[in-house]
Amino acid sequence: MKFLDHLEEWLIASLLAIATLIIFVAVVHRYASGISLLQDFALTINMSWAQELCIYLFVWMAKFGAAYGVRTGIHVGVDVLINCLSERTRALFVYFGLFAGALFTGIVGFLGAKLVIGIYETGQVSADLELPMWLVYLAIPLGSFLMCFRFLQVAWNFHRNGELPRHEVAHVEGLEPERT
Amino acid sequence: MSAYIIFGLLIALMLTGMPISIALGLTVLAFLFCLSDITIETVALKHFTGIEKIEIKAIPFFILAGNFLTHGGVARRMIRFASSMVGHWHGGLGLAGVLACALFAAVSGSSPATVVAIGSILLPAMAKQGFPQRFGAGVITTSGSLGILIPPSIVMVIYAVSTNTSVGKLFMAGVIPGLVLATLLGLTTWYRARKNGYPRLARASLRERLIALRDSFWGLLLIVVVIGGIYSGIFTPTEAAAMSAVYAFIVAVFVYKDLNLKQIPKVLLDSASMSAMLLYIITNAVLFSFLMTYENIPQAMAQWLLDMGLGAMGFLLMVNLLLLLAGNVMEPSSIVLILAPILFPVAMQLGIDPIHFGILIVVNMEVGMCHPPVGLNLYVASGITKMGITELTIAVWPWLLTMLVFLLLVTYWPLLSLWLPRQLGMM
Repeated sequence: MKFLDHLEEWLIASLLAIATLIIFVAVVHRYASGISLLQDFALTINMSWAQELCIYLFVWMAKFGAAYGVRTGIHVGVDVLINCLSERTRALFVYFGLFAGALFTGIVGFLGAKLVIGIYETGQVSADLELPMWLVYLAIPLGSFLMCFRFLQVAWNFHRNGELPRHEVAHVEGLEPERT
Repeated sequence: MSAYIIFGLLIALMLTGMPISIALGLTVLAFLFCLSDITIETVALKHFTGIEKIEIKAIPFFILAGNFLTHGGVARRMIRFASSMVGHWHGGLGLAGVLACALFAAVSGSSPATVVAIGSILLPAMAKQGFPQRFGAGVITTSGSLGILIPPSIVMVIYAVSTNTSVGKLFMAGVIPGLVLATLLGLTTWYRARKNGYPRLARASLRERLIALRDSFWGLLLIVVVIGGIYSGIFTPTEAAAMSAVYAFIVAVFVYKDLNLKQIPKVLLDSASMSAMLLYIITNAVLFSFLMTYENIPQAMAQWLLDMGLGAMGFLLMVNLLLLLAGNVMEPSSIVLILAPILFPVAMQLGIDPIHFGILIVVNMEVGMCHPPVGLNLYVASGITKMGITELTIAVWPWLLTMLVFLLLVTYWPLLSLWLPRQLGMM
């Protein structure tokens, strides 16, 4: 379990870092191609794949990041109303929300798996990188099933000790008041 | 008929407190499953294609850049620069807070992030100087909302994506309203501070000002990189976002050295999970608006609203009320994603400029962030000051009133938003 948690964290953090670097390099490359001194060198490198790769990296980051977000409680809803209810009724609604989340992500994961199988059979590849498309789309079933699992995990923890993960918007590390 | 079912279901699901993204997705799924002839497989496909648009990529980059700036000491230097410039006037540090928020807003695309960056440093300092806590909290909570009006702005990117308008034009259109709002908030601060005789700082010498300027130079340069880069066409907004993320990283780690390399994974992780959350809402909202378009709901609603004969004036008033109401229960990105596709077609038919309409929505969102029950800025400020939400609400009202007046100004004076992009020949 710990291993899965770490893998998830590392995956999304590195995907974001790589995507940022790729776009950065692509922009620098585009301008280097315009400077005569660097032109010959720059033109030997083909960067047309950057845009496409960046999109795929972000799809993967989004899907796994969403699952990580369930674990940390970053997905917020309209809780004004249910917070006015009694503790017990509120708990019922919390369960309802969590199971609805698990249901939805479970269905999407299932549909995604069907989609991936369908694409695998067509043997489609991506435009610039010529990656097999089923590999790219694999993010949907994997991410969604992981998210489904996280919803159930949160529900289980809520059942056991009545605690929900809460995302603290106001908490900032490294910015302590005494720094002023 | 289907419109009632869809919205009834969506609202019912949302009120149970489940994540908005899930409520949107389940509504679509339930509707497709029971009442429609679209195959349900479309859902999975849309979950992929929903975030393929390149403009959306700007969001994670801007979030990342914002986080580097917040942790990397840029905010601190901007505050110092701001207080050396305006600290000797009435309002002292409060006024400096407004200016620092405006400066930080020009490098960050989010309001709560601006409140965190400026507030967590400035509020304790103000309390130490003898300002009542309410005053400081009021200033920063409302000025922080400039984050989404002064470019770059994540909410603007979301509006641009969901209505197919140009991010660049929206950014430019936000500049003047942002400066006007900053001035108005500054005036409110100045007036209240003068009335109550709050402490002022000693006038900074020219030398001190130059030192503060030199110190914050690297942060201020980013404003030029982002806004200048987009305006001159050197970068697309997405590229500008990626450039500012890399730039902010370099400044935070190598120039200011306030962030060490060990903290980087944490910053990356926080930014990634925040972006993933937004992207997940966007995906499901794209799904939702696909369903609505398929059922011709935006057109039907547009017709219904037009038949009411409101005219542009009445319609804009209605939009304001609706958005302010929605601001009570939801956070900005969700509101824009759900309501913009519905309201936008009507606005177009009434001849309202798409850019002006976008700025109007953004200003509404700013107001929504500063009042309860779901004002995100309020929660952030309450986290910093440890004040209760009720007390903060009272603290915020003079500035909130100013913002409402400003909202009317933006609503009925399109030129305020459109003048700059027109002068720049962008439209």
